[in-house]
Amino acid sequence: MKLGLLLTLVTSPLAAQSVRSRLEARVPTGAVSTVDSLVQVAAREGLPTEPLVQKALEGGAKHVSAARIGAAAQEMLDQLRDARALLVRAGDAPPATAAEVTTIYAALKRGLPAPVVERIVAAMPQEPRGSALHSVADLAAHRFDPDSSASLIIDAAHQGLRGERLLDVSTAVVHELQRGHSRAEALAVVRRELPNVPAPPKPARASVAGARRPEAASPPPP
Amino acid sequence: MNPIDPRIHRALDGELAREDLPRELRLVVERLEAAAALLAAAPAVAGLEPRVMAALRRPAPSRMRRLVRWFSIPHAVTLRVRPVWSLALAAAVALLTLVPIDEGNGPVLGDHEGIAQFVGRFPDAQTVHVVGSFNDWRTGTIPLEDRDHDGVWRATVVLPTGTYEYMFVVDGERWVTDHLADRLVEDDFGRENSILIVRAARR
Repeated sequence: MKLGLLLTLVTSPLAAQSVRSRLEARVPTGAVSTVDSLVQVAAREGLPTEPLVQKALEGGAKHVSAARIGAAAQEMLDQLRDARALLVRAGDAPPATAAEVTTIYAALKRGLPAPVVERIVAAMPQEPRGSALHSVADLAAHRFDPDSSASLIIDAAHQGLRGERLLDVSTAVVHELQRGHSRAEALAVVRRELPNVPAPPKPARASVAGARRPEAASPPPP
Repeated sequence: MNPIDPRIHRALDGELAREDLPRELRLVVERLEAAAALLAAAPAVAGLEPRVMAALRRPAPSRMRRLVRWFSIPHAVTLRVRPVWSLALAAAVALLTLVPIDEGNGPVLGDHEGIAQFVGRFPDAQTVHVVGSFNDWRTGTIPLEDRDHDGVWRATVVLPTGTYEYMFVVDGERWVTDHLADRLVEDDFGRENSILIVRAARR
């Protein structure tokens, strides 16, 4: 506990300092202070800060006004708090990691109902849920019932599919839909075949050979 | 060995009348005479000369038929190679099969890297860039190309695995959502970002 408090006290000012340098000249001056203070609040509360920075940089790149960037960052901070509260409600062992909070935030942002997200979190303890949540959100985007979609993805996880392979489940369901099955049939067809769902093709050699590594490529925010 | 009754010999030679034989010996004599008649009726085996002449008179087969025949009949192929050359050949085959060939000047991908392909149709565009959380939303760093000037712009990029949001920037000022993307999300600024999930290329 003491160590955690010490780390928070040490890392928060460092985080805030690096954030300022990243925002200046790229975000309207008025928004820098607002976002900076929100980042410090997030750091103090143990919430992820990188999504706030990314939202501010995005707003700056899109020439959005300072007020709008500040409002978007404030809204995001509230949603990050909601995401962490959901993790607690679902029985996730505290403290919630930045990556998990960001994952839940992204799932809610994609429109998944909170009870469905909670169900997936509870069904998949101690393992990354990002792909599972994206898979359910993909199906919901194709107007599948989120609850039925969550059931399928949870079944797939229980049958041994892990991580990105869960994305292949929703892809398989959408393929069945495109083949003319009804939504209920598509879910049933894929459920029968579990855990056998086709994996995506590897990138073609020509694509890999022609690929470039961008100068400013950065890993995704935690 | 069962010796043949001498009366059968005498009957076959005509020295003994068949009627003087007992019934079972008479049957044997009749069978032997029938067998001799069959042998006498069999055609004579053709000699070498008529067979050669018949083959000469037969029309020559076509070139295709000879070729098909050549391929269908087993042949003994003798290859005379110096041992040093056979060793060199074996080494070359081993090199080709065991050592991966360089596919070009492409990047070597790490375990946590994948390939992202961006495609958009912008017929009147002068420049198209992709901007997103993978490059801190910096404009102008990842250009798309339209090499054949058909209005379809493309870029293939190596990125760390993970989930990103992005948009296209056309002619440096117009922000356009990639509607070909499978996943979209509101950007909180009145537009939609596309979601990109980069999976490890090495699986």
